Amino acid sequence: MSLIDSIPEKLGSTEPWIEKGGVHWLTASALNVRDLAKTMNALHARFVTITAYQLPGEEGLRLEYHWDLDGQLLGFPFLLTGNSIDSIYDLCEAVDWIEREIHEGFAVDFLGREYEPLLLRQGETPGVNLREEVKK
Amino acid sequence: MSYKIPMGPYHPALEEPYKLDLICTGETVSDAKLHIGFNFRGIEHLAESRNYIQVIALMERVCGICSNIHTLTLCQAMEGLTGLTPPPRAQYIRVVVAELERLHSHVLWAGIAAKLMGFKTMFMTCFELREKVMDILQAISGNRVNYSMNRIGGVNRDIDDLPAILAMVEALEREMVRTVIPIFTTSTTARLRCAGIGVLTREKAVSCGVVGPTARASGLPQDLRRAAPYAAYSELEFDVPVQQDGDVRARLLVRALEIMESCKILRQALTKMPPGEIHNGDSKIAFSTGTATSRVEAPRGEVMYSVSWKADARNPSRVHVRTPTFANMPAIRWMVIGARLADTPLIQASIDPCYSCTDR
Repeated sequence: MSLIDSIPEKLGSTEPWIEKGGVHWLTASALNVRDLAKTMNALHARFVTITAYQLPGEEGLRLEYHWDLDGQLLGFPFLLTGNSIDSIYDLCEAVDWIEREIHEGFAVDFLGREYEPLLLRQGETPGVNLREEVKK
Repeated sequence: MSYKIPMGPYHPALEEPYKLDLICTGETVSDAKLHIGFNFRGIEHLAESRNYIQVIALMERVCGICSNIHTLTLCQAMEGLTGLTPPPRAQYIRVVVAELERLHSHVLWAGIAAKLMGFKTMFMTCFELREKVMDILQAISGNRVNYSMNRIGGVNRDIDDLPAILAMVEALEREMVRTVIPIFTTSTTARLRCAGIGVLTREKAVSCGVVGPTARASGLPQDLRRAAPYAAYSELEFDVPVQQDGDVRARLLVRALEIMESCKILRQALTKMPPGEIHNGDSKIAFSTGTATSRVEAPRGEVMYSVSWKADARNPSRVHVRTPTFANMPAIRWMVIGARLADTPLIQASIDPCYSCTDR
């Protein structure tokens, strides 16, 4: 079994990888972001980024976490019905700036960490750049 | 007693605006805090109001040095959503422009590093050489900064006179071998100013997720041209220079060796370039609903674009850009801890930071 094939089992998922748009996606409803970060650390995968999307209407937000494993880009989507998700900053130092950027761009709260301003300057509101209801 | 020294956001040692709050004990830096966002432009937000032609012109302006890399990555992502594959000749032209851009970026950086070392003659030599690279880019594209080479499904301009471009590349390579490489690799000034300072250990490089020459100088052999080839890189032979020391000198050596590898790639690409079309025609482009991701090895490391589109929509619903400097900059904190205050300008410059990309 290859390293990448062992990941779903390590995360307790029975879903297969789906290769789409240049990414190996693993979609599992029970996926926990902190368990994911621990598994990626154990595999020495390199954290790449988190991409946030605002879904239409009241559907909330989708966060896509990306790691690189031996040149293969792995993607793990998380649907947020509220505005928050656990931070993995204490597990993965490389997420610091992107968690701060998404907090400022989309007003997402990454639970368990503190923020300092990154791109927004004093007096500006989180979400002002990319969150539809705040932009309005 | 410790004290805080703010460096930036506007400071003679910085080429672009950002701020380092340095906590010092005597002349030694004991901690540092980084601040960015002084030129934040909201380009990702702007992209949502541009169509598929306009968004390429917009993203070309994310960076003033690696402008081509941004359009290449964006076009590759959009090609994933349109099902268009560039013809083989276009793939080779993409490699040629990308490697010329790497050359001019690395030589520009070498010049700035030389200036910060107090090696002004070398600064002038590097900038003279960079002009020659810019001349080649201008000969190919008609432009010196924003080349407008990439489009969905290919490139906008052909390279007509391959022997002339090849001759220019060979002349450039001779000059690199004669002056830049030996001086940077053997001169006492470069060694004394760079060796053993600004060390980023392999462990810290992994935990910070650094990319590009910064990662390769800390012993991580990662390069997307090799690990996940795009354009025509899978058909070309080249080495990925890696150094183990993690200091400023290692980052200098990696870039110097990469200049030689870029020349090697350029010679192969210009010799092997197949004849044929350079794009897939001018028919209307149809996007499918979904998200596509593309990654490219820019001069500073991995660039990643995620592009989301809805079928029949005029504009993208989301364009996310992860630039290499965004990944590399937080590591500066670990490089400057324990360093002498006077070395911090050179240390921060050694990752070849681009605040234009970071404040996209």
